[in-house]
Amino acid sequence: MSVIVTDGLTRRYGRSVLALDGLSVEVREGEIFGFLGPNGAGKSTTIRLLLGLLHPTMGRAEILGLDSERQSVAIRGRVGYLPGGIALYDSMSGEALLDYLVDLYRRPPVRRAELLERLELSAVDLRRPVRDYSRGMRQKVGIIQALQHDPDVAILDEPTEGLDPLMQRAFYDVLDDLRSNGRTIFFSSHVLSEVERVCDRVAIIRAGRLVALEDVGALLARRHRHVEIRVRGEAPRLDGVAGVSKLVTRDGLLTCELEGDVGPFLAAVQRSDVADLTIEPAHLEEAFLEFYQDDRPAGIVGTDVGAVRAG
Amino acid sequence: MNTVLLARTWEAQRAKLLAVALALGGWGFLMPVIYASYGAQFRSLMESGVIPRQLAEFGGGDIFSLPGAVSLGFIHPIAVALNCVFAIGFSTGSVAGERQRGTLEVLLARPISRRSLALTLYAAIVLFVAITTAAFLVGVFVASALWGVSAELGLSRLPLLWLNGVLLFAAFGAIGLAASVSFDRMTPVLAIALGFTIVSYFVDVLGSLWPDAKGLQPLSLFDYLKPSDVLSGTATPVDFAVLAGVAAAGVAFALVRFPARDLAAPS
Repeated sequence: MSVIVTDGLTRRYGRSVLALDGLSVEVREGEIFGFLGPNGAGKSTTIRLLLGLLHPTMGRAEILGLDSERQSVAIRGRVGYLPGGIALYDSMSGEALLDYLVDLYRRPPVRRAELLERLELSAVDLRRPVRDYSRGMRQKVGIIQALQHDPDVAILDEPTEGLDPLMQRAFYDVLDDLRSNGRTIFFSSHVLSEVERVCDRVAIIRAGRLVALEDVGALLARRHRHVEIRVRGEAPRLDGVAGVSKLVTRDGLLTCELEGDVGPFLAAVQRSDVADLTIEPAHLEEAFLEFYQDDRPAGIVGTDVGAVRAG
Repeated sequence: MNTVLLARTWEAQRAKLLAVALALGGWGFLMPVIYASYGAQFRSLMESGVIPRQLAEFGGGDIFSLPGAVSLGFIHPIAVALNCVFAIGFSTGSVAGERQRGTLEVLLARPISRRSLALTLYAAIVLFVAITTAAFLVGVFVASALWGVSAELGLSRLPLLWLNGVLLFAAFGAIGLAASVSFDRMTPVLAIALGFTIVSYFVDVLGSLWPDAKGLQPLSLFDYLKPSDVLSGTATPVDFAVLAGVAAAGVAFALVRFPARDLAAPS
């Protein structure tokens, strides 16, 4: 079942700025969906359209079967939202702020205690006014206000901004738990490593257009890994082996690029006397940068293109 | 209307509300005291011709009676400025201020419609000006009783005077709210709301002091605040209706404009 659906979603600012151009994606129930793009790519515009803060120029969006423009109040009752660079009411204490924000949902804060414990915010911290909070503490409160009422869908815009590595890890664990409980998470970020770490699928947008939509695993599998093999004696014959390219052999050191299934490569290598073997893992960053090369045509790429209807 | 938001707004504003109410109560208290203590001296001073007679027209032209003194106190710049703390200060910041600080985004992430938000904020504006206006009249009432002049006041007409004042500042509040939902920054909102109020006041004062400008007075909202007429029992429903109409128009504009707006990411 698709929890979030956008269909040809387009947003113009004035006549000259096309912030989002025919975005069509579907986010499935129970997945963490990464939404990648650099600043100004259209990530925040997409989120604002989903929540009904902006009106689309063309196209439509739905969350949980509800129309984002006409039923945005009902949508917001079932969604938890963490805005990027969240601003909070500085004069309130953390506790009063969280109470106020959850009261507006008219739902109990069933996850608050667990989130406070995981994100290491104490009762003493919560009694202090928000104006005294560090950036990291503000971000923690932002995360808690978005998730404390256990929403069906969480829309998180740059959620780990300002969190230290330990807290980032704790937050990833929270996301894993939410996923196991069937919650759907729309995770907007430009931090590639965390998208790689937590997301099931990723959409990449560039200049308002969707350029890729794919399983994170599949995207990584298609990336080139860099391989170095030091051999004693005769080098393995890797010409023509599936997935191997840019093969260079010199003084017993063999380097190449490897894409896709490693099976044929390993089968070819195991016949040689290998002294050392290094395969550098593929990173999403390479895929991301590839999609952002300026001369690359803005078509849609991915194994998941069936879920994409080009706008 | 959202009761959680209303309760939070009350909590956030109550200290300021108390301060303004005390100040207006004190100001209201002064009117009967000044009238009882110095009214006769003022009258003889005015009748001596030292002060131009036209100045006595400010506030309804009856400054030598207790109702006249109360009227003068009601539309005095000090009372107007204190009432405008909420009618203009709060109303202009209610949406544009939150937008400028970035907190509106957090608020609108909750299941509250923009119309409900605007209506709730307007309810808060009316509540606040109702309290501050009442504080002034309570001060008048207490001082009149203490100085033994309450029989001159016509206490039964004070509720109608309260309504007249509430409607005036509710109208300014509606204009402030309408401006507030229309912009992302406070500067243009304050310029519009404060500019309208100041020009309105200036036109009314000008019309009361300069006979040639009297024709301009109906263009000012202050022209429909008639404390002297209310206390003397000669006020007409038209004054109340005009103020209510302006308030309704301002709120209607806000209710249409706010949901239609695009709220882009704060820059």
